[in-house]
Amino acid sequence: MTTASIYRPEWSTTIDPVLQKELEQHVLVTNWPKFLDMIDTFYNWGRRSSLWPLGFGLACCAIEMICTASSRFDIARFGAEVFRGSPRQADVMIVSGTVTKTMMPMIARLYDQMPEPKYVISMGACATGGGPFKEGYNVVSGIDKYLPVDVYIPGCPPTPQALLNGVIMLQKKIDGEKGSLLLPGREKEMRTPWYQEALDREVPVPVLGPDLIDLRLLEATAEKTAMGLMEAHEANLPKPPKIPAPQPEVAAVESSAAPAAAAPKAPSKIDLIRAKSQAATATDGEPAAAPAEPAAKPAAKPGAKKPKKAEAKPTLVWLGDEGLKQLSDRLDQKFGGGTSTIVQAGLLIPAAKLIDVCLYLRDENVIRYDYLASLQSVHYEDCIEVNYQLDSTIDPGKVIELRVRVNEAEGQGELPSVVSIWRGADFQEREVYDMMGIQFTGHPELKRILMWDGYAYFPLRKDFLEPYYEGPTKVFDSRVEDGRHFRAEEINPYGTNLKVPKDYNDWKSLVAADDTKGKNFLPSGVEISELDTDQFIISMGPQHPSTHGVFRMNLRVDGETIVGLKPVMGYMHRNHEKIGERNTFLMNFPFTDRLDYLTSMGNNFGYALAVEQLMGDDAKPPERAEYIRVIMAELTRIASHMWSIGFLLNDLGAFFTPALYAIEERELILDLFEWAAGSRMMCNYFRFGGVAFDLPPGWVERCHGIVFDRLDGKIDELDHYLSRNEIVMDRCRGIGVLSREDAINYSTAGPVLRASGVAYDVRRAAPYSIYDRFDFNVITGSKGDLYDRYYVRLVEMRESVKILKQALRDLPDGPILPGKKSYQIKVPAGEAYSRVENPKGELGYYVVADGSSTAYRYHVRSPSFINLTALERMCLGHTVADVVGILGSLDIVLGEVDR
Amino acid sequence: MDIGQHLIRGHLITLRRFLLTFWVDIRAGRGLKRRGGGTFWFDFFDRNGEKPPTVTQDAKTAGVFTVEYPDERLPVYERFRVLPVLIYDQEDGYVRCTCCNICAKVCPPQCIWMSKAETHHGEPYPQPREFFIDMDVCMNCGLCSEYCPFDAIKMDQNFELSNYERHQTHVYGLQDLLVSSEYYSKTHPQAWESDEEIAERNKVAKKKQQRLQKGLTPPAAPAAAASKPAAPKPVGV
Repeated sequence: MTTASIYRPEWSTTIDPVLQKELEQHVLVTNWPKFLDMIDTFYNWGRRSSLWPLGFGLACCAIEMICTASSRFDIARFGAEVFRGSPRQADVMIVSGTVTKTMMPMIARLYDQMPEPKYVISMGACATGGGPFKEGYNVVSGIDKYLPVDVYIPGCPPTPQALLNGVIMLQKKIDGEKGSLLLPGREKEMRTPWYQEALDREVPVPVLGPDLIDLRLLEATAEKTAMGLMEAHEANLPKPPKIPAPQPEVAAVESSAAPAAAAPKAPSKIDLIRAKSQAATATDGEPAAAPAEPAAKPAAKPGAKKPKKAEAKPTLVWLGDEGLKQLSDRLDQKFGGGTSTIVQAGLLIPAAKLIDVCLYLRDENVIRYDYLASLQSVHYEDCIEVNYQLDSTIDPGKVIELRVRVNEAEGQGELPSVVSIWRGADFQEREVYDMMGIQFTGHPELKRILMWDGYAYFPLRKDFLEPYYEGPTKVFDSRVEDGRHFRAEEINPYGTNLKVPKDYNDWKSLVAADDTKGKNFLPSGVEISELDTDQFIISMGPQHPSTHGVFRMNLRVDGETIVGLKPVMGYMHRNHEKIGERNTFLMNFPFTDRLDYLTSMGNNFGYALAVEQLMGDDAKPPERAEYIRVIMAELTRIASHMWSIGFLLNDLGAFFTPALYAIEERELILDLFEWAAGSRMMCNYFRFGGVAFDLPPGWVERCHGIVFDRLDGKIDELDHYLSRNEIVMDRCRGIGVLSREDAINYSTAGPVLRASGVAYDVRRAAPYSIYDRFDFNVITGSKGDLYDRYYVRLVEMRESVKILKQALRDLPDGPILPGKKSYQIKVPAGEAYSRVENPKGELGYYVVADGSSTAYRYHVRSPSFINLTALERMCLGHTVADVVGILGSLDIVLGEVDR
Repeated sequence: MDIGQHLIRGHLITLRRFLLTFWVDIRAGRGLKRRGGGTFWFDFFDRNGEKPPTVTQDAKTAGVFTVEYPDERLPVYERFRVLPVLIYDQEDGYVRCTCCNICAKVCPPQCIWMSKAETHHGEPYPQPREFFIDMDVCMNCGLCSEYCPFDAIKMDQNFELSNYERHQTHVYGLQDLLVSSEYYSKTHPQAWESDEEIAERNKVAKKKQQRLQKGLTPPAAPAAAASKPAAPKPVGV
């Protein structure tokens, strides 16, 4: 159809009919619905330019999300900077991080509470499809199993720019929405979901029963459970092997029956150990090690696969064979024969005598073992061993290891609790109970800590197979069949990450609103008689902007005074240790990045040291690698402390401005990491015996510039702005005081311990790598209050800069790995516990190797987790607002707390 | 105590910093100009496919700290890794991967799955027939590319991967994964020029040459030539 003017022919134009139709359809407003659509355009423009995200972060991706809100990426440019604490005010939920089963009910509830229109961005591989932790028993394989997702952002973690890209994608999606505004005359054609009455957008809150039960699938689940499909499926799978527990080196038969007889033989034993240690230090130690082997391998150890064994020592810096022998003799004298047997450089103590021995070690021994560094358990074929790493804060570096063995059968193991001796054992014993099912008699509150009460299994036992279990070790069998790839879901009979024991039949008890995880941790509190007030229980978290992640505190308050506090954790428990036992040694590196995701270089460092201790001289890092490691670790410390200080101020109410200043410096350090290692946060940079890559050209110069020209000034700036600031002083001085004795007794570590006046820094107490070459001070506080913890961190950054300056000055040239890079790591059998001073405190890795390609047991002593033990102690008597600050001063990272 | 004084001081610090950022930018000659390109305060038109400038920040960075993605970007460092890609040679479409499975063996979350190609005689042939990477599981660790002996799998740097759907699109097949060696040489110039990769390329080129020669020479023993196809077609290119 052509239109031409009859009046002025020169005005007439001929329009292509197709074009005209297009114009009428898309551009020209020809009728009422078209006009309404035009309003839609503006309405959508308004909505998409003011997306208010829910201030809600789960894991590593949340850190990148926060960075996106910081000055460098500035999500405010997209109108999305208003992170709302309450779901009622938010319209986009950025699911940033691993969705765990424990957290899933909360997420569903938050989603239900958000008003329409609401959008969900699934950020990162974990939220999208389970990610690297998919195989874990506590991980939901993708948030889209529950919530409708609008935009997926792949990446692990997606960088802030990738998140911005996702936000732009969401904006595009909103732009395309039609019928999003209810206008007269258009009721019939409301096409957006929130106007469709038939569509129920409410997500039923799943229940934490024997596993995470989706109530929509309850019947099918019950049916499949009754059919025993899971058991049938598991019957065909290879089970993880169990190895026997290490036995005393000399005549295993005698040692338990006649320890007195074992004592005279001791010199020969020491000789044997010496011979072995020499053999391990010599490069061609095979001939020397050979005679030691038959003695160390009695008939009771047929399972040992490889003859090569690692040097027996509990950790890098320890008491030593001689000292241990003397200590063992002393204990035998004091408490009768058989009290202590030396097993693989640790003291095997009968469970009945544990308390006596521990008390003696703490109060009477020459070296006062007042500090419980770590406590963990190993499931062996014949027993479950709980072992304790002890150190002395008075005479540091004399680590010993105690071993106690209990019945292996599920739920049979029983052990006296050492909480009365070291309060720091509190959470750790609960963790052992949770993971292994050992009962600790005398523990004040022995309940599950990471999983929930009612969870059907003890997950770290070797006979527990996860829902997605495929084999005892990686590499798994191929998942490609006839040109098709199948996902882990298709292996599981339930079709999702779910496992329920066959005999479970209490389905009726599963109620949607039930808070299985938190309701058992109600603090009892102290009665305050003079105040005639009612006490209230407040659940703070797990979705709370001030809990630094998905951490929850059940508070009992009297007025505003805290009279009781119980931390509830496990909302981020993503089965690091269970997965770590299936991974080859090399594969664990990228997983350690995701522990404390603010300090991935430090995590790498600790893990590398643990395995290098087992590998001995095969994996001795060359000089250059050692320096690079130290540089990276100290840069990490500065980045982490910057973050910590910035967010402490956030918690105190100085919302985001100090954090923005601090994050700027962190960003520059992250640039260095990205340049050298390839990723801002998940560096995966260390390898056994060195680092993955050499520093790229130009790196040292930029690092030099940042360290020498910038950081000092910036730290001074922070100091100048904050340290004498009235608000900081008022809110921090005298708050959350942890006395010196308590700090030690609660096994706190890092700046928390040092702020209480204990000069205990693993870099000095048990020097690792090349830290003994650097000149730096161990910073301590005097009062142990919140202010001291803040200030210790601040000054520690200066010390880190000092170390960096020395390291950059001395950085030698040379190789970065001792040999050729290989993915086949041969780790001799043995056990090792490595300790590094991470920014959060002492990070320990406990690794038991059985000579195969995977770790038999892999445990992480996480400083954030153990520091939390002292939280209640610090908070009592303060107000709720102070609890936020105190928690901020502990500087926890949930990836590490819950692992 | 001088209550409130420090509160005002805090505000002044923020104000000072705010003004300073602009002052630094003005002195540096940037003024209010958008660093992302465009001359006016807003971009009314698309920049005809012009690549957004990168902003490198280092010790001397002062002024406005914001990098205005998507109008400007942070530099992409060579080692920056997002998802793995497979490389084929630009000249002849030869897929470097020999299906040796090492990447799948080192993959921590086990997201790489492949199967070997077969010749038409049913013998296994060192090329992937299928290659899957589940990017919902991939943890971007880069171990696959680090330990690949044939420089076949490398980490891509494209992070703009957001999409609206995952079940159909997030398992990458061979076609989604393949990128040319030319693309790789542009994203990873240093690695491309490194001795190891040059040596590897030469080795492969030599092998190809040998195979070509073998294919060109008239078959001396027809029986042997029949069992071994002389110039195998790369599968999946």
